[in-house]
Amino acid sequence: MFRRYFLPRFIQYLVVLIVGMNMIFFIPRLMPSDPIESRLSQMTAQGQYLDPAAMEGLRESLAELYGLEGSMFEQYAAYWKRLFSGDLGPSFSQFPTPVVELLKSSLPWTVGLLTVNLLLSWIIGTILGAVTAFYPDSKLTKVIEILAMGIRPIPYYIMALALVILFAFVFPIFPMAGGYSMGTKIGFNSRFILDLLRHAFLPLMSLVILGIGGWFLQMRNVASNIVEEGYVEYAEASGLSKTKIILHYIIPNAIMPQLTGLAINIGFIFGGALITEIVFSYPGIGSLLYNAIIAEDYNLIMGINIFSIVAVSTAMFIVDMIYPLLDPRIRYQ
Amino acid sequence: MPVLDVRDLKAYYITDRYGRISRVRAVDEVSFQVHKNEIYGIAGESGCGKSSLLKVVSGLSKPPLRILDGEVIYKFDDNELNMLSLKDDKQRRQLRGTHISSIPQASMNVLNPVKRIEKSFQDFVSVHFEINNKAQFNEMVREHLSALGLDWDIMHAYPHQLSGGMRQRVIIALATILKPDIIFADEPTTALDVVVQRGVVQLIKKINEEQHNTIIMVTHDMAIHANLCDRLAIMYAGKIVEEADAHTIFHDAKHPYTTMLLKSLPKIGDESERESAPGAPPSLVDVPPGCRFHPRCPKATELCCKEEPQLIEIEKGHRVACFHEGGSR
Repeated sequence: MFRRYFLPRFIQYLVVLIVGMNMIFFIPRLMPSDPIESRLSQMTAQGQYLDPAAMEGLRESLAELYGLEGSMFEQYAAYWKRLFSGDLGPSFSQFPTPVVELLKSSLPWTVGLLTVNLLLSWIIGTILGAVTAFYPDSKLTKVIEILAMGIRPIPYYIMALALVILFAFVFPIFPMAGGYSMGTKIGFNSRFILDLLRHAFLPLMSLVILGIGGWFLQMRNVASNIVEEGYVEYAEASGLSKTKIILHYIIPNAIMPQLTGLAINIGFIFGGALITEIVFSYPGIGSLLYNAIIAEDYNLIMGINIFSIVAVSTAMFIVDMIYPLLDPRIRYQ
Repeated sequence: MPVLDVRDLKAYYITDRYGRISRVRAVDEVSFQVHKNEIYGIAGESGCGKSSLLKVVSGLSKPPLRILDGEVIYKFDDNELNMLSLKDDKQRRQLRGTHISSIPQASMNVLNPVKRIEKSFQDFVSVHFEINNKAQFNEMVREHLSALGLDWDIMHAYPHQLSGGMRQRVIIALATILKPDIIFADEPTTALDVVVQRGVVQLIKKINEEQHNTIIMVTHDMAIHANLCDRLAIMYAGKIVEEADAHTIFHDAKHPYTTMLLKSLPKIGDESERESAPGAPPSLVDVPPGCRFHPRCPKATELCCKEEPQLIEIEKGHRVACFHEGGSR
């Protein structure tokens, strides 16, 4: 089992990581612009005068900083060496803070927000999908269906903006921006947690409402086929209770695509919710990435990308390992 | 005394598509009685209403199949009840398993693919009894399985690990674990090869002998009926056209449709070509007037095209619906 199932998938996982890391290394180097030159021209454009000697010195130190010194091969070796030591280099825009530090401070915000969102919307969407598939003729089913189909196509940034305008501006119930109020002491006390929840509520809602719609529709599609399967009909004919049929017959058989989706989205948590975080000025990975792109902070962009590649592929690998436990028909082969 | 008495049962599939109402007359004024401990067969071509009849009688009909008229009366230990007047889902659920049970078509996957067989047994038994004592439950299942000649090991298998024939035997074991009074078998042998069919037929016979219950068997396969049934009803276009004990049906059939069906059966030693029944069964949306069989009947007369023959008893236990066999209007 170990050799036939685990090993090939582990190798696949490693290959994905290596290819991803290589792409992160090569793609910026294939770009026509030179980060050092663009940095220098930016400085001169701002009116700084540098004499040629100072210019040359700056060029060298920038090359060292960017990891661009030496031949391509030397750079490549240095890149891997740095990866293995967990060093993603310093950020340029917030020099000399290491990229890892910035990731560490943004991560809890993003992970907190997106994990709660994912779990809430996944659980509610999945259960709603299974139950409505079992009662296709109920009035409530029709209402939920119409709502889901209406909500699902709304772009999430429109939803975010609409919520901000409605509940932070027109009816100022919730704060408009930020992760917590200025001047609140960060700590484990009820006042801070309450403040945190108040700030997280709108971003969370903008994601959860759309998330439920998506998970619901996917689950309902699969489950409405399962409901017509012989084993559900026979369980009904044999007098099994409806809760038992939903929990033991419909959900376990319809859950596979949901789990795959869940796994992929667990990985995406670490990539941040870019636009949502920008709209709500939420201090997460998404905002960090946005600012890094604006500031041409190559190291930071690369760091965030490396981080999300590792997170997504690790999540997929773990799910691959769990699959056979959930569906006996998937063999260890 | 009959355990099941069906009177003038009428059930149509009624669908309304954008105001166009279509009525499929699947079961039309069907009456029959089934006695205790007998195996009652229902035969007929595909689409003649056999399965619909079974669904209505076993209380599993769902829209668009609607029951318009009739009574389905069961007698269990001196308790008489009308299946069609049970409004409560709970009451119906209580009947299933202990009193009524069904064996579905072999081609259907009735076992939950992601759970072991053991779990299905637990689920089905726990509808009626709380399983407090695992050892006692295991003993009960083990006894039942060995009575049916099945191995205990199948309990730990997943459905996809069993062959089609094995799966059907497991389903039969599952359907009979609570020793139901009446078992409805809807084409239990379709999709199985003949050798496996024989095993399944023998298993059903064994259950009938050991549990002393009543089996109602629906199939289009006359060979299965010949092997298994005590009495036999022939259905055509939603109606019973002939009913008698199996021996009479196979040796002294009266209705032209029954003789037509039997002519198509192969016989050992007879090398002449089998005759196929000409024509096709009518659409149940607009059934022919008069006798429903008259367009295909070699004996059809003008009367057959206009009037509908009633199912009447021509000799003890032998009912026929045909003007040529003493039928009346």
